[in-house]
Amino acid sequence: MADSGSRPDRLWTPDRRQFLRAVGVAGMGAAIAACSSEPGGGGPGGGQEAAGQAPSVSFTEPRTKLSGDLKILLWSHFVPSHDQWFRPFAQDWGKKVGVNVTVDHIDNAQIPTRIAAEIQAGQGHDVIQYIAPLSQFEPSTLDLKDITDEATKRWGQQLELSKQSSFNPATGRYYAYSPGWVPDPGDYRVSLWQGVGLPNGPSTWDELLQGGTEIKKSKGTQLGIGMSQEIDSNMAGRALMWSYGASVQDENEQVVINSEETVAAVEFMTKLFKQAMTDEVFSWNAASNNQGLVAGKLSYILNSISAWRTAQGANPDVANDVGFVPALRGPADARAAQHVLYNWIIPKHAANPDAAKEFLLYYTENFASATWHSKLYDFPAWAERVPQLDGWLAKDPYGANPADKLAFLKDATSWSTNIGYPGPSNTAIGEVFGTFVIPNMFASAARGEASPKEAVARAEAQIKPIFEKWRKRGLVGGT
Amino acid sequence: MDAATTERPGVRAGKRPARRFADNERQMAIWFLLPSIVYVVALVAVPFFLAIGFAFSDVTAGDPSFQWAGLRTFERALDDPVFWRSLRNTFVFTVVSMALIVVLGKVLANILVADFRGKWLVRFLVLLPWTTPVALSAVAWLWMLDSVFSPIDWVLRNLGLIDGNIYWLGRPQLAMASVIAVHVWRLVPLSAVIILAGLVAIPNDIQEAARVDGAGFWRRMFEVTIPLTLPVVAVAALFGAILTFTDMTVVYVLTRGGPNHATQVLASWAFIRGIEGGDVAQGAAVALFLFPLLLAAAIAILRAVRRMEVL
Repeated sequence: MADSGSRPDRLWTPDRRQFLRAVGVAGMGAAIAACSSEPGGGGPGGGQEAAGQAPSVSFTEPRTKLSGDLKILLWSHFVPSHDQWFRPFAQDWGKKVGVNVTVDHIDNAQIPTRIAAEIQAGQGHDVIQYIAPLSQFEPSTLDLKDITDEATKRWGQQLELSKQSSFNPATGRYYAYSPGWVPDPGDYRVSLWQGVGLPNGPSTWDELLQGGTEIKKSKGTQLGIGMSQEIDSNMAGRALMWSYGASVQDENEQVVINSEETVAAVEFMTKLFKQAMTDEVFSWNAASNNQGLVAGKLSYILNSISAWRTAQGANPDVANDVGFVPALRGPADARAAQHVLYNWIIPKHAANPDAAKEFLLYYTENFASATWHSKLYDFPAWAERVPQLDGWLAKDPYGANPADKLAFLKDATSWSTNIGYPGPSNTAIGEVFGTFVIPNMFASAARGEASPKEAVARAEAQIKPIFEKWRKRGLVGGT
Repeated sequence: MDAATTERPGVRAGKRPARRFADNERQMAIWFLLPSIVYVVALVAVPFFLAIGFAFSDVTAGDPSFQWAGLRTFERALDDPVFWRSLRNTFVFTVVSMALIVVLGKVLANILVADFRGKWLVRFLVLLPWTTPVALSAVAWLWMLDSVFSPIDWVLRNLGLIDGNIYWLGRPQLAMASVIAVHVWRLVPLSAVIILAGLVAIPNDIQEAARVDGAGFWRRMFEVTIPLTLPVVAVAALFGAILTFTDMTVVYVLTRGGPNHATQVLASWAFIRGIEGGDVAQGAAVALFLFPLLLAAAIAILRAVRRMEVL
């Protein structure tokens, strides 16, 4: 005070240490500001205004006496309010049942690496969650048939796509427990699609091509359907294939990708790219959907509702201008992959498997809270656990405009499926998914590096050895 | 006096073992080398032999039990066209990066050896790319090269040099050029510091004698400076080659090997195959193809260092 009073006119002339400190503080400030602008960070859709309506937590006594520690590893949710809820939720349960609960969140892309490392080391977390099927870890996980049966006994039938993403018919084991999932609708800009005579958005792949082409020509705004080595591109490619009646495997786990239907799907994607997209889609990453939609740079994306929730906080005008459509219809079907599929595994090395299983039942029992705190992102595999869901979708408690914007998701289960459809999400499907064979098949044809027929044949040449390898180990059915 | 005479022997007795240790070069050498040996054994030798073991097994991410598989994993790796593309990309990535790292490192070293105001600040800034964690700097570059929001594109657009976007990471050649550029940006400071050490070591009288004899800047550069620093430049080149050849972070963060494997290198393909695909054995087999080339580079480094000692 005295200093500033005695030298009021003097500019701040820092020494080197002061300067570095100021730069450091400014850097931290910028980092904090950046973090606070992540999806769901605040504003409409921020969740605070709706917190009073949150479902109450119910508690059922565990079937056995529990004690010790329980270490949980799960992803950093795309909707941060979910993680703010989850930690105290899990720890409160621990206090009630006499278990010391630790919760670790990491980026979803790091989880398979972390699981592999823990399995090799034979130690680590007791229960681990990922957002896609973890079939490749089956030999090192406990069979979770007992808790799946228990959940079914308590709450009725499990959703088929969740079962197909956690049960291996070749071994008869549940390599994972799957209590929830996330739909993958299309998000479109209403004002742009109104201009091409489709105010309710495209309902077929052909309409997407026609409307998308016209919008790109007249407004310069492209479609955003990735053909890159990342998860959204994997989902988009499969959705298109299924809509054309093509698939990687059939229901008996035989490779059937090399078909006229797949070639037709690849031809269509090539046309879609040339007429309505840009090279941006070859460098697509998990954040591209959100960035492009929020900035108003894309006319249509395939994504969950998280990109729109981000826009609610970051760019409300764009958010109000976003509409949704279910899976687009192709010549054979209208089907989309789940956007996220929750797989919880308990490794064989888990120190406290009983507590892990009881926690998973408790988590499923309270899935309404997961849905609520994820801002309607998480959907239940046991529908009975979230009876409020249809009401929430009909009148969005997080400020959708119009309020019934998400009502179309009420029947999302009818057009959503697992990534191995029409077969299970087996280990071979997991490796095909993890090595991005499908997005690269589409990309090589779209770029003109191969004809659609060649691209499909090359994909088959990569996929067949993968199936043979896992089949020899008894993890994939068929011959 | 008494106190002094009684203290002295005690002090001597206390220091004797330490002095004995300090005087024994052989013992000292062992203790000083021990951390390096532990480091190399634990973090290089053990993983290396583990990788050899995995490559001849059928170990997967979900099943660590070891079963002999012979050469089957190598056959599968060689049958895969992505492997050959990755191998070719690895060579392109390494050779182009190494050439640029050496040339730009030499230019930078020449600048840094000169006397000018604010030299410490320039040296500090120049070293930043090398000292920044690679994952952090690669993420920063991911934003710089974003298909829609790239500030580089923004500048070029505002200068009227381009109309739309360049799609740095969405086009095969541009993606490879971007990956190489980021890698060169990161490694040039290391190369410059190594070459700087060589430049500083050149006796001034040699340079002055050449100047007195009428040699200009370029003649001194090509006939005095470069020949005298050649062993150091070789070390910089080989460090650059090894660090490029084995790096997967820049590729993985920027492109994940895309578009359509156009920037896939052996290290990133080994990771995607072994960890993300779950086939640890095949990932190890792919990674082992790096070994003979790295061994040749290591031998070359040691020979270059030896030549330096002789000089």
